[in-house]
Amino acid sequence: MDFSLSDEQVLVRDTASSLLDRHCPISLVRAGIDDPSASDPLWAQLREWVVLGDGSLVDLCLFLEECGSALAPGPYFASAALALPLARAAGGDELAARIQAGDATATVAFAGEDGEWVANDDPVKTFVLEADRVDTILFVDVGGRVTVAPGQPGARQVGSLDFTRRLFEAAVPHDATVIGTAPVDEWLARATVALAAEMLGTARRLKDAAIEYAKQRVQFDVPIGSFQAIQHKLADVSVAFERAWSAVYYAAMCVDADDPDVVRAVHVAKAAAGAAATRAAKDAIQIHGGIGYTWEHDLHLAIRRAYASEHLMGTSGWHHDRLADLLLR
Amino acid sequence: MRLEWSEADEAFRAELDEFIDECAPPEAKAGRDFTDGGVDAEDRERREAIIPQWARDWQATLFDHGWMVPGYPPELGGRNATPVQTLIYMEEMARRRIPRSLHFPGYAIVGPSLLEFGDDAQKTLAAPSIRGDIVWCIGMSEPNAGSDLAGLTTRATKDGDRFIVNGQKVWTSYAMVAQKCFCYVRTTPLDRAPKHKGITVLIIDMDTPGIDVRPIKHITGAEDFAEVFFTDVEVPAENVVGTVDDGWRITMGSLAHERGGLWLQSVAMVQQAVDDLCAMAKRHGLERDGGVRRQLATAYEKVASLRALGYKGFSSFAQGSSAPEHSYLKLATSELGKELWELGMQLQGPYGAVVDRERGDEHGRWARAFFVSFANTIAGGSSEIQRNIIATRILGLPR
Repeated sequence: MDFSLSDEQVLVRDTASSLLDRHCPISLVRAGIDDPSASDPLWAQLREWVVLGDGSLVDLCLFLEECGSALAPGPYFASAALALPLARAAGGDELAARIQAGDATATVAFAGEDGEWVANDDPVKTFVLEADRVDTILFVDVGGRVTVAPGQPGARQVGSLDFTRRLFEAAVPHDATVIGTAPVDEWLARATVALAAEMLGTARRLKDAAIEYAKQRVQFDVPIGSFQAIQHKLADVSVAFERAWSAVYYAAMCVDADDPDVVRAVHVAKAAAGAAATRAAKDAIQIHGGIGYTWEHDLHLAIRRAYASEHLMGTSGWHHDRLADLLLR
Repeated sequence: MRLEWSEADEAFRAELDEFIDECAPPEAKAGRDFTDGGVDAEDRERREAIIPQWARDWQATLFDHGWMVPGYPPELGGRNATPVQTLIYMEEMARRRIPRSLHFPGYAIVGPSLLEFGDDAQKTLAAPSIRGDIVWCIGMSEPNAGSDLAGLTTRATKDGDRFIVNGQKVWTSYAMVAQKCFCYVRTTPLDRAPKHKGITVLIIDMDTPGIDVRPIKHITGAEDFAEVFFTDVEVPAENVVGTVDDGWRITMGSLAHERGGLWLQSVAMVQQAVDDLCAMAKRHGLERDGGVRRQLATAYEKVASLRALGYKGFSSFAQGSSAPEHSYLKLATSELGKELWELGMQLQGPYGAVVDRERGDEHGRWARAFFVSFANTIAGGSSEIQRNIIATRILGLPR
């Protein structure tokens, strides 16, 4: 497997990085804690990039990694990584075109009452991202039939650790329009890898924050980063991050190439990304010491995102169980 | 980013496979057991055959057909392969578990070092070293110089046109069978220069009077390496490789162009271990046990992601970066290996610690492999050193 990035891919990544640097400062993320509309100016910038959800998963992942690093709130992930691919796969080209153009925000209602991301016929879906503020919700039933209905401003929010990703319960409407049937497994594989890529960005943010802090914080007359205990902790965080990064992009390549290893690769990717992000979170706060434990410090925002993402679309444990099913049949 | 190599590169793999099928001896094709701990001290017959004749012949065959170090030109046992082709070669050899040599110093360290740092006469030793005609040992570690290698004190004192060497090396692999030693010695004492600035590399003929090789039995009972004592050993001055006091640079000299793929064998090893563990779990009726399932799945996840990391490291290496990924891989695969062998013992329950030719699952192979694996997190840069390197050289943390 060849991990080198093409010039175009480098451009996607660099563009995302500078765009989010400019338009997604941490102050915007913080403002979103109390006011969901705080992310609207960010959406204005991100809407022209929803089109990445229609192309190679590797490219979308490169963009989403930067979104994860910036903790970007708003409907971009739901629209680009969940709704657009689903609309396309179900043959809803007109809807897909509007989402792709950034003209309609959208999300997918998939998980049933038990919160598992497994196709079901539950009348109320949960963990629906941004359901109250999107234009369109796509619902999926146990047979992969996709129906669409308007967003639900009155939907009940499911309180989450993570302020940057808002989750809702959404009742399946009786009069939703059918747009077609989609191969759910493939859609879910793509969506899971996309989330894992976003998690890499969050993991990287936490890791880099810890490294930076260790270089600057002086105690006992030296930077604490010169202490071996801190060095070894960060070395292990770094290994976990690097292997997760490689696993996620390998999975993205498998999805794009429809490689037979895709099923296992997706489980590995999500599990590895979860392990990397949660480890980086724990070690980052430990290395920051007292200051990292304050509300005022930005660290907890990233920790929240890391953990909520670990629990979304299958925990590491859940993905390990699926791997075990495959390994020990 | 793509999964497949080009058709031309895959054709290279097919050529290699054809060559192996046609020319490799059955002993090579049998596939090495990565868990093999080496020659048992008690096994007289094998003791004489640390490098058996079939292995010598096979290495020579590889060399003569340009498959020993594919990235080198034909006169050095290669075929001018590209970096990707070299990776494919290493992939295939790892996949089929075929060793190209049973003694790495000659082709992996000495040959390349002589090509890079040796004078004209020394450069002529490179080809026979890579071919395996000359068997080498590397004199590096000492009782007081392990992780702190630069602290070595085996002394080489200039006396006219020769050096007189006194001191002791330890963990010297192949010292029992080597014809020559690529030896790191101290030519400027520690009180006169920083420790790594007083080191010289000397080529020492192992049949020089004053050299005493004593095999060391390690914890599995095998004898893989030795102590080497030097008492007034006379070495001609022209045996200095490079310049006097400038030997520390040469520790970096090795098959640099293959560094992008060194991890392949270790990954193949842990990959095999996971497969074997799954088979073992089934044999013991543990495949429905939730705890066991999670452990095996976690192992699979780690192996698969490390394999991907290896390839990612190769990509950055091929683009000219120093590829820090190999530090990650050495650290992670050696630690993972230990975990997996231990898990294998755990799955066997009461028989996990049994080493008996007629009892226990696989007659104690897992217990032996576990014991062997202690070396992997110690040698070649201990895990602690790897973490130090990662922290300071890759993450930029202050020393």
